[in-house]
Formats: sequence, structure tokens, C-alpha cells
Amino acid sequence: MSSGVARGVAAAPIGVPAVPPARLHLRNVTKSFGGRRVVDIADLSLGRHGIEGLIGPNGAGKTTLMNLITQKLKLGGGRVLFSANGDGQVDLTGMPIDRVARLGIVKTNQIIRDFDGLTVRDSLLLSLAGGRHERFYRVASEGRLRRETAAEIDHYLDYFHFEDPDGHALSAGEKKLLDIIRCLLVKPRLLLMDEPTAGLPEDQTRRVMDLMIRKAADEDVAIVIVEHDLGLIWEVCEFVHFMADGEIVVQGTPAEIRRNRTVAEKYLGSSDA
Amino acid sequence: MSYLIFVLSSMVVLIGLATLLHLQFGLTGIVNFGVAGFWGVGLYVFGILMVDLNLPFIVALLLATVIVGVVAFVIGWIVLDLDDQAVLVATLSFATIGFYLVTTEKWLTKGVVGFGTVPFPFDFGSSTELVFLLLLVTLTSLVVLYARRIRSQPFGRLLVGIRDNEGLARSLGKPTFRQKLVIFTVTSALMGFFGGMSASLNHFLVPYLLSPTITFAAWIALILGGKRHWAGGLVGVLVIGVIFDILIETYAPIPTTEAAQMIPNIKYMLYGLLLVLVIMFRPEGILGAHAPRRPRREKPNV
Amino acid sequence: MSTLTDPLVLGLFGAAPLVLAAVGFTLIYYLSGFINVAYGENVTMGAYLAVIFNVKLGWDFYLTIVPSAILAGLLSVATFVLVFRPAMRRGVGPTEMIILSVGMSFFIRYAARLLFGIELYLFDTGKPTYFTLAGIGITSYQIIALALAAVTVVALYLFIFRTGYGEQMRALAGNRDLAKASGINPNRVSLLIWFIAGVAGGLAGIFYGVFSFVNSDIGWNLILIVIMISILGRVGSVRGALVVGVGAGIVVAFVTQVTQSLYAQVVLLVLFILVLKLTRTSAAMRG
Repeated sequence: MSSGVARGVAAAPIGVPAVPPARLHLRNVTKSFGGRRVVDIADLSLGRHGIEGLIGPNGAGKTTLMNLITQKLKLGGGRVLFSANGDGQVDLTGMPIDRVARLGIVKTNQIIRDFDGLTVRDSLLLSLAGGRHERFYRVASEGRLRRETAAEIDHYLDYFHFEDPDGHALSAGEKKLLDIIRCLLVKPRLLLMDEPTAGLPEDQTRRVMDLMIRKAADEDVAIVIVEHDLGLIWEVCEFVHFMADGEIVVQGTPAEIRRNRTVAEKYLGSSDA
Repeated sequence: MSYLIFVLSSMVVLIGLATLLHLQFGLTGIVNFGVAGFWGVGLYVFGILMVDLNLPFIVALLLATVIVGVVAFVIGWIVLDLDDQAVLVATLSFATIGFYLVTTEKWLTKGVVGFGTVPFPFDFGSSTELVFLLLLVTLTSLVVLYARRIRSQPFGRLLVGIRDNEGLARSLGKPTFRQKLVIFTVTSALMGFFGGMSASLNHFLVPYLLSPTITFAAWIALILGGKRHWAGGLVGVLVIGVIFDILIETYAPIPTTEAAQMIPNIKYMLYGLLLVLVIMFRPEGILGAHAPRRPRREKPNV
Repeated sequence: MSTLTDPLVLGLFGAAPLVLAAVGFTLIYYLSGFINVAYGENVTMGAYLAVIFNVKLGWDFYLTIVPSAILAGLLSVATFVLVFRPAMRRGVGPTEMIILSVGMSFFIRYAARLLFGIELYLFDTGKPTYFTLAGIGITSYQIIALALAAVTVVALYLFIFRTGYGEQMRALAGNRDLAKASGINPNRVSLLIWFIAGVAGGLAGIFYGVFSFVNSDIGWNLILIVIMISILGRVGSVRGALVVGVGAGIVVAFVTQVTQSLYAQVVLLVLFILVLKLTRTSAAMRG
């Protein structure tokens, strides 16, 4: 499924010092459901490279791991540490999910979630509005918010060819894209994407991937993608983590992973490579 | 004439309460069944401040509003991270506690004997009641206009987002608990404000005023008018006021004392029936756009 | 010494109506999944029906119990068939169902006021037989109420956990579609459960009326405490409702001894809010 685009390490624009991307450290992170351990990570660093992939068979614990990172799920044990600028570390363990998001860790949703009462444009304006706009006594800040954000919103609406931005996102694909754009508009430092292209038509998948590549290169956001479409992973990711039975089994560049015999046997063996 | 002004004034207060409830439930999704509690605490606190402590009208009113705000803040703090059914039951419990305490703390409230007399803030002779009504209309209009405006502002959009999918809003970094607490405190404090105004209107305060009937009236008005529409409370109160007055005129030929006693019972019976019918057949209310209904199979928390 | 045991014994006997009401309420919550505020009116109507038989028609009190309870059960079924079931079929969600049940509650309560007025009714029971237990006087009615409550709870427990119908109800409550696919007829089970709940509520009302009085508000005054007991007693568990019902009854009696009875209610409601706080965090806030 590879479209033949060669991927190397993202180069920073000349003359601009490279800002190290957001990093996440997981130490002894475990989670059990009903006595069965579904995640068991001794030591994992995420976000060191521009775009990383997290792959593995169904039930490996990938989504669970992502939910543990965002604190949507309570950790069974261990800690999740986040360093935005490479210096100070923040312990995310037990933090409320909205604080985690404000720190810059945002995850797209595997299962579609939306605001039924908001139009597409409303959704985007919601993401972009800051605390200073959203006060009960601010009855006149809409105009300024729209002006400030018009360019950015229109850019995304055009890029993804949204038909009716002042209507509601109707199709599953549109809702998925909306979810991704909302997450991007929040300007995350670490973006976790849980099967972002599942359910999207081919052209939109292409656009999403190109956008992710650009984002990782231009801005200081680190992206971690969970995907079953391995072709996309090989094409887009600089580094890949392979997870099975709750543990990280192998890590490496796409080439290294594809060469790895354990992985090939357990997972790639049949057809997808 | 005087009775008509009293009825109209009460209706205007109810419009204010229903619109505040729209902000809480229609926009944000907070199921507040304690309207009588916030309004009632404002009623009595204002009365006590004015009559027992002889504070000037405006000072008493503002102070009462602030006190209700503090109570609302505490209630909100306790209640606003619970699920919808728990919020409903907890706020109803709060209002019931208020009702009971007003009855038992006779030293403060004179209990069932009644507390009075709470005067109007000014005296224009025979026009006093009319001027007070106009004052109420002005204040309620401000609330309604705010409801209309806030929907198209970032804060209103956030409230709708919280109502539709609080978890999603939080995952985008919105501090939803804090914002719910803000809107709940402010709007419930304003319910207390209207309570204070109602004290002057009623002049004589009895615990019975804090029974759930006013909560219920605000709810039926809002659901009937359209919970998601800024004018839902306004339309709802007008409709039930008109329906009921029309029914009265056609139904009660001879005003005997027996008939007069039956009227409130018929009224609330019909309100109850109306609430049932609206929720079953047109839950979006008179002004509401048709909203998609989920079939019974699905879990409601999706 | 007696100030400690008196309230306990009084509480135990006084808890009977509360236990009956809590059990009936829990059944509905378990099966249909919503808080039925109008269940309070079930209690009230049970009492009023007994008043009709006993006070208006002059029947002996004991003879009124069975017909009143049965009619109360039928009333419960009527509310289900005419209002609650159609509403659920139209997709009304659980929060709206509570609001709807509040509407029903007002409808029935104010209809009762129209029919019966606002005066208090007392049962014409003749002289009760007095017994002494641990130093305090107990009437024969209290014993009968307690016995009935115990029998009802035991019978319900056996019904839910030992019979076919009970099994069907649990299946329906757990996974409706799967249960229907296995051939369980939801209609019959639902009607039966609502009937039983109505009977329990009616009995609760009758004995509440014997212990104190009957007016249009007795059910409404109870309903918040009943809801609390059900939520406390781990909703859906008949066992839980029983344990907590007895406990709550004793606490109410104890506090009533010490203060006015309204304070007892206030204390219970404050406890209720605390329990809600500890047990009902919303999904959005949990993450």
C-alpha cells in the first residue's frame, strides 16, 4: 500500500534551532482488568521522534495504553511523566483529564465522539476559544474570536473539503476528520492518534497523513499513531513500537521492524507487510 | 386590578426563573430540581435583612443574592461532578432541606406562623404595585436578553459543548467542572435575587412558598416552551398562564368558595398531565427544533 | 438503658412501611431503569384505597388490606401501561423519565386532593391489642406490619432468585436484547413486576396510615428517603434494600426521639447527599 514516498528523519528549517519535541516517559506502568494484566510497560519513551507508530495485534493493549497516558483510565501502577521542553518533568498520574489536555497531551478518538448540538464551525471555534473568551460575562467577544481564527479555520475546512461547515458533520468520515482537526486546533505538544484513518475514504486518508508529516516537521508537536494499516506506518513513521500482550516487544525504525523475525512471525507473517 | 398585577408580577418572576433554568438545563445540562430552594432562601434572607435588620432595599437585595450565591456555590461544588439523576435528586433534597429548615427555625423565620411584613422598596401610592411590576419586567428582560446573547458567544458554545459531551470537552482541555460551577452559582444566585423581589411582592412569607410547586412550575414552563430556546421560559409561562386563565373563564361560572379551593388542585393536575404529554410527544417543546431521539436499546450515557 | 433500646425497637417496627416501599421502588428501578418519583403516589393511593374500604364503606380494617393492596398493584400496572412503557418505547431517556415521573406524581397527587380533600384520615381500627417488648408497648398492628414486611421481602427474594419469572426479570434487567432473543416475553414479566411493586407500595401506604395518618402527601414525603435507601442499598439488590431500609427506619426513629421529626428528615437528606457524592460520580468526570 506504500505510495513510494521515501521517509527520512525530518530536518529542521535552516537557521532555526530545533525545539526538542514533547517527551513522555512511562515507568512500570501497569493496568489490569478483572485480574488479567492488559498493560505492563517497564520503561518506555514516546515522542522523541517526529512521528512514531504504535502497532500490534488486536488486544495488545494499544488503546488502553493511550487512555492510561491521558489519564482517562486510572493507572494500576507506575507513573507517566511528561516533559514539554526537555527540562522539567510533570507527573501526569492521577491528573484530571482536562488538565492533561491543557498541558498539551491530546488524543483523537477511535470511537466517534461529537457535539450533537454544534455545527462544524462551532466545534472548531470551541476548540480555539481560550479561557479569556469563555467567561460568563463576556457577551461581546465572539466577533474578535471569529476574526482571530478565521484564517486557521478556513484553512482546515478547505484542506479537507468540508461541504457544509455551518451545518452538522453528518457522515462518520466527516466526524472523524472533525475530531482530528479539533485536536490539532488545541495546539498539542504530544498528539496521540488512535486509528485516525479507519473509516476514511482514500483521498482523506492521504490528506491526513500529509498533514501529519508537515505538522511533525514544522511545529514542535510529537505524534504517536496507532494504526492497523501498516503501509501508512512504514510510510509516515520514523520510529515504531511493536506491542503485544500488553508489553512493548520490539522498537526500531520501520526497516528494522520489518526485518525483525519475531514480529514477522507473530504479526506481519500473513499478508500486510 | 391589584390582583391582576399580582398575578402578572408572579408570572414575570416565573419567566425569570424558567429562563435561568434554561441556562442551567437547556444550555448546560444541569438538572436543577432545587429552584424552590434558591428562590426560597433568597425570599427569606431578604425578608429577614429588610424587616429584622432594617437594611435598605438594595443592600438587602444584593446581600441576599450574594448569600444565595454562596449556598449555590457549596451545593454546586458537591453536586456538579455527579451523574444527571444524582444531580436531580440531590438538588431536590437541598430544596426539601430548605423547606424543612424554614419551618423548624422559628426563631429566625417565624415558621408556619409567617414572616412579615415585607414592604415595597418605594411608595408611589396606588401606582406602587404597577411600578414594581415594570421593574420586574425590566429585570426579567435583562435575563432573557442575556440568554439570547450568550448562545452565540464562546461561553454559551462551551456550555452547549458541556451539555452534549462533557467528556469530549474535557479531553480538549476545557475546565468543565469549573465552568459549570460558575454558571450554576451565578444563575442560582439570580434565582435568589428573584426570591428577594418576590418577598416584596408577597409581603407575607410562609414556609409553604418553598414547596416544590414553584420548581415544578418553572420546569413545566421551560419544557413546554422549549428547553433549548432562549425564549422557552418566556413562551412556556405565557402559554400556561393563558391556557389556565382561559380554562378558568370557561369553567368557573359561579365562584363559590369550594370552587375556589379546587382551582389550585386542578391547575397542578393539569400541569402534571401537560408535562407528561410534552415529554412523550414533543420533548423539544413549542419552540424547539426536532432533536434526534435514541431508541430504548442504547445506553443513555453515550 | 431503655433510651438506647427503645428507639431500636421502635425503629425496627416503624421501618416496615419504609422497607416495603423501598423494595417495590427498587424493583421498578432494577427492571425499567429509571427513578420513578410517582411511586410515592402508589404508596399514598394504597392508603387512600384502604380508607375508602375502611372509613367510607365501614369494613373491618384487616379485610381492607388485601383488596387495597391488589388495587394498588393494578394502579401501578396502569401507570406503566398507559404512560411509562409508551414513553420508554418512544426513546425517552432516563433523566427525562424522572422528569416525566415528577409530572405523573403531581398529576396523581393533586387528583387525590380533588377527590379526598386535604384533610387527614385515620383508620377505624378498633382497639388494638397491646404487647410489651423489651419494656415498650407495641400494638398488634405494628407486629402485623412487620410480619407482612418480612414475609413480602422473603417472598420477593425467593421469587427473584429461585423462580423462573425472577430469572427472566434478572435477564431482562441485565441485557434486554439478549433476553428477548432467548424467548423471554418482556411484557409479561414487566407487568408482573410493576404489579408486585404496586402491591408493596400499597401495603406500605396502608401501614404508614395505621401508624400515623393518611393524607395526599404521605407518599411524596417518603419518596426521597425511599430513593436514598434504594441507591444506598446498591440498587437492584432486594437484600440491600432490606438491610438499608431497616437501618434507615431505625435511624429515623432514633433521631425522632431526640429532636423533632423534621430534623430527622433533614439529617437523612444530608446523609443522602453525602452518599450520592461518594457513589455517583459522572462518567465524564471519571475520565
